[in-house]
Amino acid sequence: MLINPNSMSKKIFLLLVFCITTFFTFAQNITLPKLSGIVTDANTGQPLVGAAISLDFKKSGVITNASGYYEAFLPVGEIIIKVSNVGYKPFRTKVVIRGDYKLDIQLEDVSKTLEEVIVSSEATKKNIQTPSLGVTSLSIKGIKKLPAMMGEVDIIRSLQTLPGVSSVGEGSNGINVRGGAIDQNLIFVDETPIFNPTHLFGLFSVFASDAIRELELYKGGVPSRFGGRTASILDIKMAEPNLEKFKLQGGIGPVSNRLMTEVPIIKEKLAVLVAGRLSYNDFLFKWFGPANLQNTRANFTDLAVKVFYRPDKNNSISLTSYLSNDFYQVDSLFSLENVVAKQTKFDYGHQNFAVHWGHYFSPKVYMDVVGVQSTYNTRTYAPDSVNRIDLKNSIGYKNLKATIDYQPTESHHTNFGISLVRYDIAPGTLNQGIISRVSPIDLAKEQSLEIAAFADDEFKVSKKFTIQYGLRFVQFYNLGPFTTTKYQEGLPLSTAPVIGTETFESGKVVKSYGGFEPRITMKFSTSETSTLKFGYNRMQQFVQLLSNNTTPLPTSRWKISDEYVKPQVSDFVSLGFFKTLKESIWEVSAETYYRKTQNIVEYLSGAKLQLNPTIETQLLQGEGKAYGMELMLTKRRGEFSGWLSYTYSRALQQINGATAAEKISNGDWFPTNYDKPHNVNMMLNIQPTKHHSFSFTFAYQTGRPYSSPVGLFRLADKTYPVYESRNNDRIRDYHRLDFSWTINNPSMKAQRWEGSWTFTVYNLYGRKNPYSVYFKSDKAGLKAYELGVFAAPFVSLTYNFKFL
Amino acid sequence: MKKQFPIYFVLILGLIASCITPLTDFQQLDSKSFLTVESSLSDQLGPHTVQLTFSSASVKSNFIQPVRKATVYLTDDKGIRENFLETNPTTAAGVYTSSPNFRGKVGNTYVLHIETTDGKKYVSNPETMPDAPEIQTPTYQFDVKTNYSVGDPRRAGFNVFVNLQDSPKLGEYYQWYWKHYEPIYICATCPGGTYNFAKNICETPKGSGVGGGAPTDVPTLNYLCDGSCWDIQFGVEINVFADTYYNGQKITGKQIARAPFDGRSPYYLQIEQRGITQSAYDYQQGIANQLQNSGTFFDVPAETRFNTNMKSLTNSTEKILGIFNVFAVKKKIIYIDREKGIGQENPVVPQITGEIFSCNPPFPPCKDRVPCFESKLRTKIKPEGWVN
Repeated sequence: MLINPNSMSKKIFLLLVFCITTFFTFAQNITLPKLSGIVTDANTGQPLVGAAISLDFKKSGVITNASGYYEAFLPVGEIIIKVSNVGYKPFRTKVVIRGDYKLDIQLEDVSKTLEEVIVSSEATKKNIQTPSLGVTSLSIKGIKKLPAMMGEVDIIRSLQTLPGVSSVGEGSNGINVRGGAIDQNLIFVDETPIFNPTHLFGLFSVFASDAIRELELYKGGVPSRFGGRTASILDIKMAEPNLEKFKLQGGIGPVSNRLMTEVPIIKEKLAVLVAGRLSYNDFLFKWFGPANLQNTRANFTDLAVKVFYRPDKNNSISLTSYLSNDFYQVDSLFSLENVVAKQTKFDYGHQNFAVHWGHYFSPKVYMDVVGVQSTYNTRTYAPDSVNRIDLKNSIGYKNLKATIDYQPTESHHTNFGISLVRYDIAPGTLNQGIISRVSPIDLAKEQSLEIAAFADDEFKVSKKFTIQYGLRFVQFYNLGPFTTTKYQEGLPLSTAPVIGTETFESGKVVKSYGGFEPRITMKFSTSETSTLKFGYNRMQQFVQLLSNNTTPLPTSRWKISDEYVKPQVSDFVSLGFFKTLKESIWEVSAETYYRKTQNIVEYLSGAKLQLNPTIETQLLQGEGKAYGMELMLTKRRGEFSGWLSYTYSRALQQINGATAAEKISNGDWFPTNYDKPHNVNMMLNIQPTKHHSFSFTFAYQTGRPYSSPVGLFRLADKTYPVYESRNNDRIRDYHRLDFSWTINNPSMKAQRWEGSWTFTVYNLYGRKNPYSVYFKSDKAGLKAYELGVFAAPFVSLTYNFKFL
Repeated sequence: MKKQFPIYFVLILGLIASCITPLTDFQQLDSKSFLTVESSLSDQLGPHTVQLTFSSASVKSNFIQPVRKATVYLTDDKGIRENFLETNPTTAAGVYTSSPNFRGKVGNTYVLHIETTDGKKYVSNPETMPDAPEIQTPTYQFDVKTNYSVGDPRRAGFNVFVNLQDSPKLGEYYQWYWKHYEPIYICATCPGGTYNFAKNICETPKGSGVGGGAPTDVPTLNYLCDGSCWDIQFGVEINVFADTYYNGQKITGKQIARAPFDGRSPYYLQIEQRGITQSAYDYQQGIANQLQNSGTFFDVPAETRFNTNMKSLTNSTEKILGIFNVFAVKKKIIYIDREKGIGQENPVVPQITGEIFSCNPPFPPCKDRVPCFESKLRTKIKPEGWVN
């Protein structure tokens, strides 16, 4: 006879438990109160057999019988009960036993609980069921669970916990997706572009998290309806206001206060959502700052408004407005070269507006029309009396886009449309209409038009094979009025003599570029729970952010492609494998990619970018390549959830012009500032009860590159390093552990006002992570120094509330 | 004059704990040495100098090798040739000087030629000497940096400003340079030893101190100068300016120096206002920018500009450091009244430790006065405009 060892041991265990409980029953049933109840599945109501009831954390306990019933005899007093069953979320409670006590318990099936992680289950479904590749759907609820620096829920930081997303370092002004530069990401909030995603020079993200419903990050496999950037698309969707119920929520943190409200105006038809965030840092400088910082001011605000109108079942209209602003005032320091000034003020922000109209022609045909107007303005000014300055620049974006979503049959799903984008860039005006010794400058405005037509079709060829193929065609026009400077041919632009100019009237085409952008992804299901995918896409980019700094300044200038600045073109291929385990509770994935980008922008040594009328003389163009592999293990549900990922990635550039001045690093490939080959990310969320949750995030990255000198030279009695190659050495590795503890609804009573506290420790073990290494002269040559950031644990407490 | 930290750094510093620590385990990856040309020609009387060196291949040593016995000369567009000779190979190897009477002329275009003993030839781009405007009324103002504590010499000082009138021509570049002469009475300080008048150095008896060093119980001896003597200090920070935003305007309040508050006596300052070439401006501004934007969140790439205005005729790919700097100079001498506007602040006077050595009995052959040796940092020649 064959004996199943598992069932054998289970039987022995059951017998043992039976003996113990019987013993207890015989010995104590007369004197001790009885705890009993039925354990059922919360969804089906079916009794759960074999669920273990442990008492006061002891390993021994009782288990439920075939009808889900359990009983135990306990002494009078307080006792902690834990009920657990495989595949169910454990239940814990504390009861006071005075006499017989009945406790029926419902356990939640883990596979049916809500996901706790930032990558939403929608994403898992996509990973397995659709051909989309390199697309991550993020849940804002998950993002809110991550330990946040200074208690500020931060999208840009949260994204960096995902494989393939990194940054130059803490305080950088954006993200680098799969080896792309910051300006190669297109960030949309309800289709309105964000040109600077951070506040306080990179410390916090601009988005008011309360107003956000969901985010999708396209690291590759970008559908043809998106275009205009070469690396990634971050599509942030604002929540639609609730048409039925009033809602108020907000938070109080050490850096800012938040408030969000949803107000139905006409029930089931019209509602408005308003979300705002306001920082209040001035007192920090006033009270705690040293005397030389007491006049410093640093404030930021965000305001998001959405009006949603649904006149009938087939139509919906929404108006979105997103405004952000930063203001700084700093004493005696100035960043504009060759100007004498005592105090400087900075002011910058977005003014974004969008109108959406959605219309169902039939259940199979849906049309979406959107009109967008968006501006990002920056202003730098010094109110000094005689040397007064007022420097402004701006980038404006207008878009009209119509998309039709059509599902003719079960096996086809198409999406097609047209898009018109106009950019208006004012690269710099100085002292217009201001009396000052500093002369007025008004750099020629730049304007362009991008006309695009696009179509995608998702075709289910067979049960196992699905292909999504698409094409985008873009024609770009740099438009007049504009005057192009002509240089003598055969010489580098930086030294070539000017031989003349060519003037273009308003509306005339200065320069045109364009071409097809094929987009393709395909999925092959290797089993019910696993798929293999391949993707290719080409993307073109006609605007770029000009900045020679480690991370761009918020006041950096944007540039439209022209005769000299060629558009960036990237070709991207990727391959991925996805598998889910245990009813999608676990997911494993592996993705590899390779991207080649032409015409990336770099800068001459000591390039002068600000207010330069012949900016093309300062720019160099070359090639970029990025490749990598991303491995990820996710546990999506349960008491413990989270993920672990490892990424190997490289991001390199080559600037190899004809002359020595047009080469960087002798024309060899060199690592970008954000080239960090090894990355490990871990996120762990523990939610023992509805009232508590703990989160840990851990990040490890290879140190970023810096340029290490080959020697030193003396000039005018001072010593300087000699650099020959760019980014040839690396700073120390980066790692950090964060922790947060959230207490939801501390009163534990069901009421309309629900509060929660979040306690966060950022950089728990106080690692002194370096940001950069640099050199200073010293008596015995040069000395290397390290600039570290957040070198100590940062503790913060935030209060959040909801009023429903 | 070093600029302060860029705003962003201060901002973030004010908000979060960022810190700067010396990197003790830095390992240099690659070592290379390049020809360095440091040459200047002005409209002032000579001698003008061209210094030729090979840069140090190690970041940890100042081992900079002179390039000896080269042929160095200057030509101008008027057909004049001026030879630069290595006049003092023992004390100033690799330093080539013009004749003392030679001076450049504003508007003339100069080319520097170098031929080394191994047959390598170098030539500069033609550089035209720009003019320099007069310095209008220099001013100064007492200033306290409250972030430094009382007693810190960096806390209080006198900021010196100049005003100048820019000409209507766009594309003018300026540089400021200062020199300070401090009268001194002690010409040698020998910690734990005595002055050897034959070798003109301090000598310390070996072996009796910690680790074989100078004995610690012997007092420091100071030796008086044998006549008038001045220590020379000069500006080493790059301070350049372009008229990009001020063309044809009066430029006011440009800070060019900060005099220390280390005494109450009037402070002598020689100010030079130079009109420099665009290449000299670009080069120096690039270096200054890089220094200023090092160790911040918004650093510019650390890179070195080679072949600014010098090139090799024998090897077109050879990388050359340094610059051929052609400029005109306008000078002004000011005395800063260090009693004015100082409020409650007290000067941080440097303390002299040890005792003054004097011969006892005061007869020859005992010597107790040290000569004032001429050098870059010391002179016995009374500075221009010196008021006793």
